[in-house]
Amino acid sequence: MSLKKSTVRRFLASGAALALAVSGVIVSATAPANAAPTTGGTLYYFTHQEQFDHVDPQRVYVGRDIAFFNSYLYRNLVMYKPVTGPAGSSLVGDLATNTGVPSNKAKTWKFTLRPGVTWEDGSAITCADVKYGISRTFAQDVITDGPTYAITMLDIPAGKYKGPYSKEGQDLYDKAVTCSKDNRTVTFNLSRSVADFNYAMTYPAFSPVKATKDTGDKYDLRPFASGPYKLDTYNINDEMHLVRNPNWKKASDPNRNPYPDDIRVRFGVAEDLRDSIFTDDSIKNAVNLDGLKPVANKAFFANPANADRRLNVYDPYVRYGAMNVSAGKMDCLEVRQAVFFAINTQALIDLSGGREFYGDPGDNPVKPVLGLDYAPTTGNIHDPAWKITGNPDKAKELLATAKTKCPTTYDKATNPAKGITYDLSNTATNQKASVLIKDALTLAGINVKFNFIPSGQYYSTIGDTTKQSDISAAGWGADWANASTVIPELFTKEGGANYTQNWNDPAYAAFKAKSDKALAETDRKKQAAMWKELSQYVMDQYWIIRPIFSKGQFVWNSGVGGVGYWEPQGNFLFTAIYVK
Amino acid sequence: MLKYIGRRVAYTLAILVLISLVVYLIFDVLPMDPARLTCGKTCRPDVVEANRHRLGLDVSVWQQWWRFIVGLFKGRDYAEGVAAFHCPAPSFGYSFNRHECVSKLIGQAFPVTFSLALGAFVMWLALGVSLGVWAARNKGKFVDRASTTFVLVGTSLPTFISGILILLFIVVKFNLVSPIDLGKWHNPFTDPFGWIKTFFFPCLTLALAYAASYTRFTRSNVIETTAEDFIRTAKAKGLSARTIMRKHTLRAALAPIVTIAGLDFAGLLGGAIITEGIFNLPGLGRLSIRAVLQDYDLPVIVATTLLAAAFVVFMNLIVDILYAFIDPRVRVA
Amino acid sequence: MSAFLEVQNLSVSFPTEDGLVKATNDISYSVNLGETLAIVGESGSGKSVTNLAVMGLHNPAKTEISGKAILNLPSGPIDVISAPEEEVRKLRGSAMSMIFQDPMSSLHPYYSVGDQISEAWLLYNKGDKKAARNRSIEMLDLVGIPDPHKRVDEFPHQFSGGMRQRVMIAMALINNPKLLIADEPTTALDVTVQSQILQLIRDMQKEFNMAVILITHDLGVVAQVANRVCVMYAGKIVEESTIDDIFYDSTHPYSIGLLASIPRVDKYHGERLKVISGQPPSLINLPSGCSFQPRCEFAKYVPGNKCGIETPSLSQISTNHKVSCHLDKTQVQQLKKQAM
Repeated sequence: MSLKKSTVRRFLASGAALALAVSGVIVSATAPANAAPTTGGTLYYFTHQEQFDHVDPQRVYVGRDIAFFNSYLYRNLVMYKPVTGPAGSSLVGDLATNTGVPSNKAKTWKFTLRPGVTWEDGSAITCADVKYGISRTFAQDVITDGPTYAITMLDIPAGKYKGPYSKEGQDLYDKAVTCSKDNRTVTFNLSRSVADFNYAMTYPAFSPVKATKDTGDKYDLRPFASGPYKLDTYNINDEMHLVRNPNWKKASDPNRNPYPDDIRVRFGVAEDLRDSIFTDDSIKNAVNLDGLKPVANKAFFANPANADRRLNVYDPYVRYGAMNVSAGKMDCLEVRQAVFFAINTQALIDLSGGREFYGDPGDNPVKPVLGLDYAPTTGNIHDPAWKITGNPDKAKELLATAKTKCPTTYDKATNPAKGITYDLSNTATNQKASVLIKDALTLAGINVKFNFIPSGQYYSTIGDTTKQSDISAAGWGADWANASTVIPELFTKEGGANYTQNWNDPAYAAFKAKSDKALAETDRKKQAAMWKELSQYVMDQYWIIRPIFSKGQFVWNSGVGGVGYWEPQGNFLFTAIYVK
Repeated sequence: MLKYIGRRVAYTLAILVLISLVVYLIFDVLPMDPARLTCGKTCRPDVVEANRHRLGLDVSVWQQWWRFIVGLFKGRDYAEGVAAFHCPAPSFGYSFNRHECVSKLIGQAFPVTFSLALGAFVMWLALGVSLGVWAARNKGKFVDRASTTFVLVGTSLPTFISGILILLFIVVKFNLVSPIDLGKWHNPFTDPFGWIKTFFFPCLTLALAYAASYTRFTRSNVIETTAEDFIRTAKAKGLSARTIMRKHTLRAALAPIVTIAGLDFAGLLGGAIITEGIFNLPGLGRLSIRAVLQDYDLPVIVATTLLAAAFVVFMNLIVDILYAFIDPRVRVA
Repeated sequence: MSAFLEVQNLSVSFPTEDGLVKATNDISYSVNLGETLAIVGESGSGKSVTNLAVMGLHNPAKTEISGKAILNLPSGPIDVISAPEEEVRKLRGSAMSMIFQDPMSSLHPYYSVGDQISEAWLLYNKGDKKAARNRSIEMLDLVGIPDPHKRVDEFPHQFSGGMRQRVMIAMALINNPKLLIADEPTTALDVTVQSQILQLIRDMQKEFNMAVILITHDLGVVAQVANRVCVMYAGKIVEESTIDDIFYDSTHPYSIGLLASIPRVDKYHGERLKVISGQPPSLINLPSGCSFQPRCEFAKYVPGNKCGIETPSLSQISTNHKVSCHLDKTQVQQLKKQAM
């Protein structure tokens, strides 16, 4: 799951450690097992946000919101198993009877709908609805912000199909996605082998939409429900009210447990008020959809009385400094290393809440929670010369080598009149971080300047190869438990978030070839070995420096039970939450 | 008089048209690209272009502005096929972030902001003026000194602090309004109690900030007016002290407040960003601040800017007309 | 029969941070119905302060008043200094009225003149607004405002200075007061308008048979309308006489100086006007002895620095003529001749 633009925007704007996570490992308090869940009552969610970024299934792209709506409002073909712990990362059929049947070297996938699945008006969910829903992704001028796996994976020439509104290229789509005669089985024809295509199906972007209920852009305000709840009201800046969907039948949905009668999401709650609600446990049946502000967070977790109503887990993200290795930028390995060794990682982590709440120094672009695809790398933080508080002597040593090996880059880094430029989004925390970075690099004799970019435009700016500076702060999370959603995205030219410009690096060609090979590898174990090798390569090249494996905190009040962490979604296991 | 008002209204409308154009021009030169903002992970050039077209930013700024003007009278159409929809006149465009026609968003936010502004206005006038008069009549005594302290605290305490203090230490602490109901809109005509419950404390927050300066202003004006010759005349006539204060002193002392209060009120009608934020009120302030800082939502920016400007210029007109009724010396022939 | 207003031993002083300002000090005078008493003096001599005290227009919190001011009303005498405020208030505008120097600032700018006059009438008469308005029109007509039906609804700023003072007079007289205090009523007006207003006051006095106190610094005004004159200096009456005596037989050196400073067509000899040298004394630290002594050119003729030690008393030198000076009348007459 990528660190979506909208997520990033909010994350950096608020400056608070919001956690919107996928695969996580529980670091501290877990919710203890409770008595049997009770049905009924009203469950409240509080958030400082004024609205969900999106509610439209084809447009939702934030882990938390996917988990939320997937639990309550709409169903996908397949979903992550609704359990806490690592088992949650396995797939189960949802609308589909199973997790999909691949054929033709995983270039064709078939899903058959469960009998008895219905919309909120009681009408049956058909293959045509699934097909129509997925087609909406192609209407990029209406259905914005959503994941675009359908566009990149389905066997349709790029840009030739414009979606169901203009219907341009509809015949191409009709060939790529077909329905059986009984309208129960959908077949996807892909442009290449995608062994983990069914993981993409966990995104609501692949969920059905009833064509007669589609309202284009406005569908984002009132999607038609297939889950155990339906939308009663949704007023931005005010409240979303979910009520039971009488046409949802437990018989056709083994995965969901709709406990509360009503679910209300309160938007736009002032941060101080939100924090006081949870610090004081004042509204018992409330869950915090954000996190707490840093000070309140620290106090909350320091109080043992709150042990039953909090979680501290690894979120799905890796935060790192991306090296722009194009010529004239950070094109010298020793200079990149010097920057890495000089930085005071401890100070930067402490600035954002310390290791307990912010995260640990990492050694890999792939987070350990991806399991198979992670192995500790060598070098970088495992180098004997690395110190968490920075090692200016080692940095100077590396610079001495650089002086003879790549004098131009050496001069750029050390000349007081030139210097390295570091891209940061313009937030209060980053302003402070810049001072820490500058202090540490100055000790090593490296001259650094900062380019503060308004947070709303940060990723579009550093994504522009002409506008990116020497180093850019960035973050990424796997789309699902496969490094195929990390390595190619971050380190190949075709990737969605390559901020290294490494295609200018002589080492790139070999890397790219291996990455492509790994993508096509259907043997998961072999594939994992290849990803590990590539991760080591990335770290050896210092294309990224000082990754942080970040954490997130979740809190709720005492009248709520069954709260757990849904690892693959990086957020609450919403369907298990009940009101005591 | 009617001719004068007509001329002023025409002049005001011309200003508003000009402001709308200026907003478009400013937005055009700023380095914000909403088209880029709305496209997801894979920002292919054709997707960006499609978004630009969707947002109506693919034509020159003059054309954008002209579409806006035409839309005001004729309404505007968006998208195609089943996704198509129409924003009826007077259309301020469509917000793709809020998925609503901007006129409707304004229609939803305005009653909130108006309630807030009106409540605050009534409170601060009542509080500020009565305290000011009281202080002036007891110049140098305890009441006067207490009012001076109030003025000092009121003017130096920003609403983002006083608001949070009122919210956390009065509203929440004594459970006067549940956080669940905070900021909920209630129709004042069908549910006046609910309306008061929602707006009392936010209005109070704003009123405290404003009342301080009105106290100071009223106090000094009353003291100054008391020394006027015409007050001595009123006394020489044999009028009682009460009548003199009520009929002669206050009329003259409070007349200038009409101007200030009118403009302050108009300013608030544009939205009270901080107070709306603290008390979770979905008013114009939050609508506009988010459009400006987060979404680069041009139609909303244009509409809220125009609205705020319209309130100020129209209130200016109203104040001038009102003043003509209050002070015959400025009455136009 | 006693006078309509009898002021006895009236002292008014204002406590300030610098000390007690003795604005008037132990003064007494009286005025009869049908009579005009002029009170003359420089600014700060206490002439307005005295009469504001009679009207009860001082702020009691900031003023110390002693002495008496007795109005001999048909219902019986009343001391307006010691009477309760509410009783005095009911005399204001009914038994006694006052008009002021600047008719522009003395009228409320936001009310029509009709409203302001009506307000005064309604206070003491039973009747509705319409009756009050009719009465206001009558009054405006009486004080010589042309077209009163129309002008009654106009505002003060639409009137000229003289007309405004007429409005003030109409308002002051609408309840037939027996005492009119006119505080420098013509000072802010053009010379031609001045005499019209004075004529009006005289006419009104006849019409209503009032006692009039005319406060002025202008002896020319006094000559036109007054029957008797009090000359005040530094909070005291220094000379009190009939109108003829003051002009032809003035005896106090200050009065003499005042008279000499008026430009007079009949006595113009091409000389410069005489001025009284020096400044009026501070009312906080009055000089010992005679207050005028530091400026008095005759003081040197009084043996043994008596003027600097002993305060002269106001003593009768002839019927209706009192002077407060250590020199007697003949001495002054001689010195006056020498000085001329």
